[in-house]
Amino acid sequence: MPMNRYADMEDKLRILEDLNMMYIRQIALSLQDSNIQKKIDHEIRMRDGACKLLAACSQRDQALEASKSLLTCNIRIMAYMSELQRMKEAQVMQRVALRSSDAGPTDDRLPCKGKVAISDLRIPLMWKDTEYFKNKGELHRCAVFCLLQVGAEIHDTDMVIVDRTLTDICFDNTIVFSEASPGFELRVEMYSCCSEEDYSTGSTSRKLASKLSSSLGRSAGKKLRVAMDPGACSPISNGGGATLLLPLPTVVGPKYHLLAHTTLSLSHVQDSFRTHDLSISGNEECSHWVPLYGNVCCRLAAQPHCMTQQMMSGCLKVKFGGDPQSWTNVYGVLKGTNLFCYHRQEDVEANIEPAFTISINKKTRIRASEKDRHNKAQSICISNHYGGEEVTHTLSADSREDTHRWMEAFWQQFYDMSQWKQCCDDLMKIELPSPRKPTLVTSKQGSLYHEMVIDTSDDISTVTDILARRMEELELRSQLGTSPPWMSLFEESPGCPRTHNRLPHSPLRCPRPGLLSSEASLTSDSDSPCSTSPCSRYSGWAEPLSLSSPSSHFRPRTLSLDAKLSTLRGRGYGGVLQCSCQPPSSSSLAPIPAQCVPQATLSCSSSTSSNSSSEGSHSPELSDGTPFSRPSSARQSLRNLRAKLDPRNWLQSQV
Amino acid sequence: MSFIPGQPVTAVVLHFQLSCALQQRIEICKLRQGEHLILGFSIGGGIDQDPGQNPFSEDKSDKGIYVTRVTPGGPAEVAGLMMGDKVMQVNGWDMTMVTHDQARKRLTKKNEDIVRLLVTRKSLEQAVRHSMM
Repeated sequence: MPMNRYADMEDKLRILEDLNMMYIRQIALSLQDSNIQKKIDHEIRMRDGACKLLAACSQRDQALEASKSLLTCNIRIMAYMSELQRMKEAQVMQRVALRSSDAGPTDDRLPCKGKVAISDLRIPLMWKDTEYFKNKGELHRCAVFCLLQVGAEIHDTDMVIVDRTLTDICFDNTIVFSEASPGFELRVEMYSCCSEEDYSTGSTSRKLASKLSSSLGRSAGKKLRVAMDPGACSPISNGGGATLLLPLPTVVGPKYHLLAHTTLSLSHVQDSFRTHDLSISGNEECSHWVPLYGNVCCRLAAQPHCMTQQMMSGCLKVKFGGDPQSWTNVYGVLKGTNLFCYHRQEDVEANIEPAFTISINKKTRIRASEKDRHNKAQSICISNHYGGEEVTHTLSADSREDTHRWMEAFWQQFYDMSQWKQCCDDLMKIELPSPRKPTLVTSKQGSLYHEMVIDTSDDISTVTDILARRMEELELRSQLGTSPPWMSLFEESPGCPRTHNRLPHSPLRCPRPGLLSSEASLTSDSDSPCSTSPCSRYSGWAEPLSLSSPSSHFRPRTLSLDAKLSTLRGRGYGGVLQCSCQPPSSSSLAPIPAQCVPQATLSCSSSTSSNSSSEGSHSPELSDGTPFSRPSSARQSLRNLRAKLDPRNWLQSQV
Repeated sequence: MSFIPGQPVTAVVLHFQLSCALQQRIEICKLRQGEHLILGFSIGGGIDQDPGQNPFSEDKSDKGIYVTRVTPGGPAEVAGLMMGDKVMQVNGWDMTMVTHDQARKRLTKKNEDIVRLLVTRKSLEQAVRHSMM
């Protein structure tokens, strides 16, 4: 019975949606603005694609990405629709004003638009000490991303998986809004979704859900039930009230919820990093909770067009000071806080230095002088203070209209500078992101790590095959506009495998505990004959880095290796294996001497496989030279379980 | 090893010896490899790590930084650093209350060619004992 009602509801909602779309199209048509209509259509197509992907995919992180695309599309559609309605309203108001007798206010001067860029978003987290070590073996992870909105333009950042080992959430994207007015409001919203690994989302029935919940343990089961609950599956999870405007079929899958938001404006613009407060919605009880410190750091820069573009140019005659005879013919270009005077117009394109430069800034005074004995036309006087001294330039254009236009340009420039305030002091740098910036990202994202299934043949070519297949799989994802960051590795040319440049850090890049340390570790593989030891080297957390040269040296962990490792670990202690580096243990270590760098626990066992002096073999023999205690079998089984669920037990770094 | 009356006293003496720790000052000259300076050892631990899994610590709630591995022939081994040492200070910086990444950073400062460590080492007896178990 409830299912029938659902189907009915869905039909009704679909009809409503169709009506909505018709209404929207009417508005767009009447506005003669096909631009927004096209954008809405595009987003709807993307949304359908995301829904289909969400329904079809089985992997958790694919689902997370698809759900993120879905949410972004929804919000974009709503923004475009609101924009359309606003434009329609404005048009109607204008018509009303024209028809009525009293004229509205005359056109005020409009400030120029500008580029606003936000980059290096960093959100510090505040994990409680107990958080680190409770629920051992069950690493509570959340998927987090940000949406940035100026007007109807919405950009999303990449998705980051957050867990206890992360101290800050960093988004590497630089997001540029090209046409922002000085009164812009940049809304930053942070969405999160819990990403438990223990269960898969699917349309399981309630009965099964409750069965699962009883078998999974209370906390995990509770979370599962919450996720399954159709009541929680609101079509719009961003808290927007316009449910009817945009109805959706209930989508099963990971749901993002709004976790925090803040609004930035012109007063927050600065040419350096600043910290802003976040308003947090949600508390510890929510499944999507991430302990935020309450701040967000970012660099918000703005480049008004008056600073970057030529606002006015033309031929001028310039006179210095009061000297009546020294008129110079120049070609003037008004850009930013300067009026550049070139000898000839061609010099501008040729990038030749201007003859001289007159600064036009907040302190400049410009006035038109009426009478001039030599010139019938008006001339413009520009006064500046250069170091205590007042310097006056007099400009004269060829005709009255030109002079008028120059005056107008100057007034506009002053007005822009007064509107954009601190952005006009100096030109702020905005780095445009290249389309697919190859960021070297750590394996925290997890997907490649867990999805690699390699047979025990340990053949490196198998690895590259699998990676190539993954790449093809991800074509679909890249069509949706997202692709996991490690994809970019395949665009890098495999250089020397051992020299890894440090990531281009911003000064406030978050410290990623233990993971980036492996960068340093990679380079310490100095004198090892890398080419002869294909199976020994594995730098645990840096494996995406290492995959950039998948040829020989690094091997990601394998699932079959997992099983062997867990038994291995049982024999060792808490996940730290050192034995391979005990030289006396076996002479067969000689070909792969201690230059091997076991980064994490896992690498050690691959080194131990090389201990047995057969490179293909995988036998995890820790026979001799194991310097560590073997705990009792009860603890062993506990440790096995722990190892299976959370391989990253105790970080080690090579220095 | 508990004291059983009637047993030779040497057992007790051994036990007593085992509980003292040595403090060592170790000066490591970094080795340049390519564009990096390396020390030749690995560390584990930190206030953001799980201390229960540290194989070297006596007290399993000790969140200090321990040397987990020393590269044979590397600068650390040459300087006398040993596996299992607990790093107390690096060039005057405290290492007993740092996160794992902070510790790593203090050791890998690019403008420092020499690091002076203050380490604590369990006495030789216990190290041997530990390795035999």
